[in-house]
Amino acid sequence: MNRRTLISASAVLAVAALTATSLPAQAAEVGVSSTSITLGMTLPMTGTASPGYNKIPGAMKAYFDYLNANGGVNGRSINLKVEDDQYVPTQAVAKTNKLILQDKVMALLAPLGTANNKAVAASVNPARRGVPVLFVNTGFSGFADTKKYPTTYAILPSYVMEAKIMAQYIKDNFAGKTLGLVYQDDDFGTDALKGFTQAGVTFAAKVAYASGSQSATTAAGWVSKLSAAKCDVVILFGVSSATAAGLGTAAALKYAPQWILGSVGGDATTIKAAGVPAGVLYNAVGASFAPATTDMTDDYVKLFSDIYAKAVPGSAFDNNVLIGMNTAFVAAQALKAAGTSPTRASLLAAIDSKGSTFASAALLPLNYSKTSHVGYNGYWFGKYSPTGDLKPVDGKYVLYTTDSGSGAVVKSTWTRPAMPAKGLPQ
Amino acid sequence: MIQFINTILIGLTSGAIYSLMAMAIVLVWRSTRVINFAQAGLALASAYIGYQVMQSVSNYWVALIVAMFAGAALSALIEIAFMRLLLKHTSSGPIASVAPIIATLGLLGIIKAGIAMIWGGQDVVVKPPLSNTGFSIGTHTLVFSPMKLAIVISVATLVLVFSVIFQRTNIGLALRASAFAPEIARLAGVRVDLVRTLGWALSGAAGAVAGLLLTSNGNGSFSPESMEFSLLLISGFIAAVIGGLESLVGAVIGALVLGLVTSFVLMYISGSLFFIAPFVVLLLVLFIRPQGIIGVKAGRRA
Amino acid sequence: MHKLSNKKRLVIFLLLGVAIYFLSGAVDELRVYQGASVAVFVVGISSIILLTGYSGQVSLGQGALLGVGGYAAALMRIHYNAPIWLCFSAAIIVAAIAGALLGLAAARLSGPYLAGTTLALAVGLPSIANQFSLLGGEQGLLFDVGFPPLSLGQDFTQYKWFFWIASLATLIAIFWLQNVMRSRYGRSWKAVRGNDVAAELAGINLTRNKTLAFTLSAGLAGLSGALLAMTIGTVSPSAFPLSLSFSLLTGAVLSGVTTLGGVMIGSVTLVAIPEIAGAVASRLGSSEAVTNNLPGLLVSALLILTVLFVPNGPVEQLRYRREHRVKK
Repeated sequence: MNRRTLISASAVLAVAALTATSLPAQAAEVGVSSTSITLGMTLPMTGTASPGYNKIPGAMKAYFDYLNANGGVNGRSINLKVEDDQYVPTQAVAKTNKLILQDKVMALLAPLGTANNKAVAASVNPARRGVPVLFVNTGFSGFADTKKYPTTYAILPSYVMEAKIMAQYIKDNFAGKTLGLVYQDDDFGTDALKGFTQAGVTFAAKVAYASGSQSATTAAGWVSKLSAAKCDVVILFGVSSATAAGLGTAAALKYAPQWILGSVGGDATTIKAAGVPAGVLYNAVGASFAPATTDMTDDYVKLFSDIYAKAVPGSAFDNNVLIGMNTAFVAAQALKAAGTSPTRASLLAAIDSKGSTFASAALLPLNYSKTSHVGYNGYWFGKYSPTGDLKPVDGKYVLYTTDSGSGAVVKSTWTRPAMPAKGLPQ
Repeated sequence: MIQFINTILIGLTSGAIYSLMAMAIVLVWRSTRVINFAQAGLALASAYIGYQVMQSVSNYWVALIVAMFAGAALSALIEIAFMRLLLKHTSSGPIASVAPIIATLGLLGIIKAGIAMIWGGQDVVVKPPLSNTGFSIGTHTLVFSPMKLAIVISVATLVLVFSVIFQRTNIGLALRASAFAPEIARLAGVRVDLVRTLGWALSGAAGAVAGLLLTSNGNGSFSPESMEFSLLLISGFIAAVIGGLESLVGAVIGALVLGLVTSFVLMYISGSLFFIAPFVVLLLVLFIRPQGIIGVKAGRRA
Repeated sequence: MHKLSNKKRLVIFLLLGVAIYFLSGAVDELRVYQGASVAVFVVGISSIILLTGYSGQVSLGQGALLGVGGYAAALMRIHYNAPIWLCFSAAIIVAAIAGALLGLAAARLSGPYLAGTTLALAVGLPSIANQFSLLGGEQGLLFDVGFPPLSLGQDFTQYKWFFWIASLATLIAIFWLQNVMRSRYGRSWKAVRGNDVAAELAGINLTRNKTLAFTLSAGLAGLSGALLAMTIGTVSPSAFPLSLSFSLLTGAVLSGVTTLGGVMIGSVTLVAIPEIAGAVASRLGSSEAVTNNLPGLLVSALLILTVLFVPNGPVEQLRYRREHRVKK
């Protein structure tokens, strides 16, 4: 065999490889069969940013299994395919390609990460393919832009909203103190900066960290800058692993300002699991839009923690789990509203028209409509207890709402309707 | 002022850990003329073995000793089972000079994948045995804690032990002789192959200690993808190259220099430069002194 | 060993182009996307074959040069809205300049020192993006080559467009590279690789020879990086990690690092392994941890086996065997 033949042979090999495993055509709607609906999710299961968030698939699957055991959605069971992207945008693109082109999912559910979702939108372009991107697990305000991301629905309050509400809380409770901020050096962080600037907050020290660089070693540098600027109040607006690194290192260096933890990184269980003593969290300020995870008087918390304890015994029921199960619950309602023969288009239409009436565990309404893909729009503030659990101040939930623009921060008067029977879509 | 002192302390501590890695690389280079990239993988594996030991016996120091022996054993195993085969098959041909490098890279990949398969990709925690709260001087707190002090002392002890082995014992003489002139050493009765394996074993031990101490330099949590281990691979290698690849002393000095310079760059210039700084230091050193700080300019080998 | 005349090679490449055109219509989108990825690897691996196989210099940092090309292309697109071919040209030129600088520095280094420098480069260079906001930080920049022209029809998918662009660029690049390798430059590299003292005595300027290899290799790497950026849609430090450099080196070894003939083998293998591994893992019902890491394990194992048993690559091995059989 001479070289020329070998080159041709390898070319033929390539052709054969490419054609050999072409998949057969699909019937009906992509990802929908007579017995099941397949959804896809990308998030960091491993890697520097993964602590805490890697519990979300388990939580969502727990809810979907409960739902499927109770008849599913219009007779179909919901399957969730999960892919690990390690919080790296290029991996998110590759895994999303796999989910859409190879696994042929009906829709993407709760893909995590601002940069990741942006990269997927630019490269895979789910909008152009008509693939719904439901309830993205990021608060980047840009994703609510219906022109740029027509098939994408936000659910979390945006970082701009969170920053504005935090600013209001600071004005009410820490007026005149020196402020410091630690944020992630990408659109996630700059979104928050936008909100703080909007609200007229000035920081004595702003520390940006590059995503992936957070560790005990680099956190020593953050703490150095913050203490040099003599900050009394420090906002940690990063992912969980960054928040844990900041808190742990500051404790080791005996630097103890008033901490305010952003919602993204504020999950107490994750922080404690990273080795931060509960005492460091005590009296730090945190925010959430769902009931406190220790509030067993709340119907949703009781039901969801029950379901989760049976599905994943031994795993703590924390904020990641609660919000994950809530998102799964909302997604199930959306799929049910999409009809008995759901298509991608009918799913999108269902959320537009009925989304604002969906039940959810949150203490705020969903704001979906034909012109709005904004989900929740506010937070309540609480303090971490001596055991490191977030509890509302004075035991009462006081919710502040705002928008991602220049709207003011106002108290919400909305009361949450009762939970539907057994926590299932009606 | 306090920031300056803290910067030095951070640099010294990380430099100490890198020096173990650099020594491991120099040991293998001197005995086999191969750069063993898999060394960093072994360091990671040893850290995991240490973690496994901690699960049954909650004693850090026992875990450290077991990890050290495990690292030595694994390294020796690689030398016997793999390197000899490799060097026999690739002693000639256009790929001869690059084959060992590529092969050890492949080995690194296998080790890392294997670890992730056995223990999963999530973070595991090895709780440092001593407190990581910094010492206080008046109102200021240093970035130096009992744990970090223990790290520095451990490294210093190990370096001392290695130096004594190499300079003062017969085994050390045999190691040096086998690397310098294997045929003559063989004629003098030295079991060259056995001695070479011993060199690899010592290298494995040093790397193992570096791996476990590295996790204790922070809050004790690590995973196969941890940034610290990537940095260990790069910095250990660069430190060895800076130090001249020929002597253990050079490796230690190279590592300390690298650790200090990187620390200053991170603290005073920007926190995100931790991967560029080693590169710039390497370029500068190679530019000014291509044979490394303590290297000897090698003559042309025909 | 007979060599094909230039005209015959041109015909072969044109035929390949036609075959690819028909192929892209016959397979589904996933395959087309993978085809584009294969093209990226073909160009990247050939850059290593040039540098390591022909010129004998080992670089562990080719990924960084891909990054330079990718960023150059993205910046051209974002700031000047330049047409695609111009973006790619910019990628090639900028990467080649970087390669020239690297080559000048590398000419003085050899063996572990060169390996060390390129390793540090692989890790350090992409993270420069975090320093300058122009480069978009960790999140990176978007690289959007735009939608396929409407003249190709409404159903012409984005990934097919990527595949066409990538295939065309690859065919041109490989054709050009083969020309270079057959020229006196190729011969002088082989001479230096064989015995640099003798080559120098024969009048070859070592520094210029090695730097030229680095420059051309870097230009190819830059093209590969631009193609990679096109398929992913973004450039960021995490798009060009250390593992990319290792993958390219692996692919080069699998293909046979000293010759261009087997370059498809390495490229297809690298793209196919994750999928094959995934299928194997799910067939065995393995855990998440095993499934995610099986591709890495397989690639590394393949690399070691190749280095041990087929060190010069399958193409050279077959030729060697054929020659020896004839000699008997």
